[in-house]
Amino acid sequence: MLMPHRFRNAIALVLTCGILAVAAVAARADETCNSPYVTKLIKGQEDYVYVWALGVDGLGDGSDKLVTVDVNPKSKTYGKVLNSVSVGTRGEAHHMGFTDDRRFIWAGGLAEPKIYVFDIGTDPGKPKLVKTIGDMADKTGYLGPHTYYAMPGRMLVQALSNTQDKGGRTGMALYNNAGEFVASYPMPTDGGGDGYGYDLAVNPRKNVLLTSSFTGYDNYMRPLGEVVKDQEAMKRFGNTMVVWDLKAMKPKMVLAVPGTPLEIRWSPKQGDDWAITATALTSKLWLVKQNKGEWQAKEVATIGDPAKIPLPVDISITRDGKGLWVNTFMDGTTRYFDLSNPEAPKETYQKVTGKQVNMISQSWDGRRVYITSSLLANWDKGGADNEQFLRGFRWNGKELTPAFEVDFAKEKLGRAHHMKLGSKSLRSASTTQ
Amino acid sequence: MPAPGFVPPPPGTYTLERIMAAPDGEVLGLDGRPQRLGAFTHERITVLGFIYTTCVDPDGCPRAYQVFDAVHEAVAAAPALRQRVRLVTLSFDPARDTPSTMRRYAGSRSRPGPVPWLFLTTRSARELMPLLEGFGQDIRYTTDRSSGAPRRELAHVLKVFLIDPAGFVREIYSSEFLYPRTVLNDIETLVLEERAR
Repeated sequence: MLMPHRFRNAIALVLTCGILAVAAVAARADETCNSPYVTKLIKGQEDYVYVWALGVDGLGDGSDKLVTVDVNPKSKTYGKVLNSVSVGTRGEAHHMGFTDDRRFIWAGGLAEPKIYVFDIGTDPGKPKLVKTIGDMADKTGYLGPHTYYAMPGRMLVQALSNTQDKGGRTGMALYNNAGEFVASYPMPTDGGGDGYGYDLAVNPRKNVLLTSSFTGYDNYMRPLGEVVKDQEAMKRFGNTMVVWDLKAMKPKMVLAVPGTPLEIRWSPKQGDDWAITATALTSKLWLVKQNKGEWQAKEVATIGDPAKIPLPVDISITRDGKGLWVNTFMDGTTRYFDLSNPEAPKETYQKVTGKQVNMISQSWDGRRVYITSSLLANWDKGGADNEQFLRGFRWNGKELTPAFEVDFAKEKLGRAHHMKLGSKSLRSASTTQ
Repeated sequence: MPAPGFVPPPPGTYTLERIMAAPDGEVLGLDGRPQRLGAFTHERITVLGFIYTTCVDPDGCPRAYQVFDAVHEAVAAAPALRQRVRLVTLSFDPARDTPSTMRRYAGSRSRPGPVPWLFLTTRSARELMPLLEGFGQDIRYTTDRSSGAPRRELAHVLKVFLIDPAGFVREIYSSEFLYPRTVLNDIETLVLEERAR
């Protein structure tokens, strides 16, 4: 990946002038939920929320886009869209992730094997599309890149499907930070493995990579109403998590976690070596931890009324590992669980935050919470229930208070999905000199 | 030295992928003579790390130095490894880390021995930048607001690179994985790979 000339020049100036130089090592966790290899956490007030939005036919240019929203309350443009970068196609934009040095965001869509790389280091308030990686299908046969997980000098990408039968059999693709393919790792289909993939998360202290399982293109691109009525289709959802030897990148054991485990969060607290996940179809929280050296998964809590299929989607863990936000899509509810005892989480708060809610992110101090609306283009609700937004809230430990809202439909931006936080202070040298 | 909180997989039981080709460029040795970095990233297995001599963060350059010391000692004591490995410490502060500064920094470590340990710098940022870019070693100019008054910092992610004799980067260690045991296992894995050919 080329370094902008202005950046090179500025670095030259910095080194020549002998300005104070301080090393920073990779931190243990990002704003509570990202790869532990991502450096430079934003521990104060974030300036931006980057929203990766799905294009909607007839809305704006109809393409997927990265939208930058000003979220600094001291700013004159607080709560306003600063800019958006269209990728020129509509490919079911879904998730994104920072590179380890936090200079770039990798993002992609579930309908295509493409990955978009945005430079956020040169001007954090104005991301720029600098590269499109289009060889994932050729190199791996995988389709639908989902999770982008920073590793030192490289990015591990969990896919959801494959180009051959567009089912749930899939794997992970490893790229170096320049966007060159390095290796692929299929999800296990033996030892109880179902071959499905969804999220991945690393615990470096234990040399463990944990993966979860969803479903393939043939399900997630169909209307949700059709899928739930199709008994055969409903059998094609993941029911497992896999514990990998991270160093060797080999599966060690398959854990039975029925009901489609999605997002995985290791506790960011030093000394905590457990992870938590939510199962979408059975509406449960599951804890993954060691017992006498053996990794085990166990159900520890119920989310809402599973009979009503609230569909827990995103989760966000607090920096101390003591609390967990859970968004349930169908009832538009944001719930807070006390995780003081991860073996027995207790729901202590809930609030309807939209007619449909999906992703949830929080600031490092937990005082600001951001929520978006879209799950998948064909799974979002219809009519008046199809709200599309980014909503910001303040959290005082007892109550979520609305702070701002960006109406993504009114702004002709599309369906608001994944979020990442940004800061002016993470500007590369080129623009601070 | 801290040990990893896990038992790493035994050497030879896993594959180290070819992550990228190590970049080449002009560097200065302790004698001040310009040389190609490529001369120090081929033929032997190379453990390469960027440092600057004024770095004081205990989890940064000093930590890397400790690991290099331990790896150097262990490799020198292993007959099967000592003729196959070298260490390279390269400064990314050419303005202050001149060859004479690097000589003082190296001390007795740069003395000739069975396991070479090269201390290199560059003539200028212009010559350094392509190397940093090629390795993907970032430097970021940041403002730290956590202490109240803004404080400008030049920050970098700690990375150490394991390079095979053909010049390919085969592992990149950040602080979480930078332990002598893991580096030594990886060196042995590359040696076993070479023998199997």
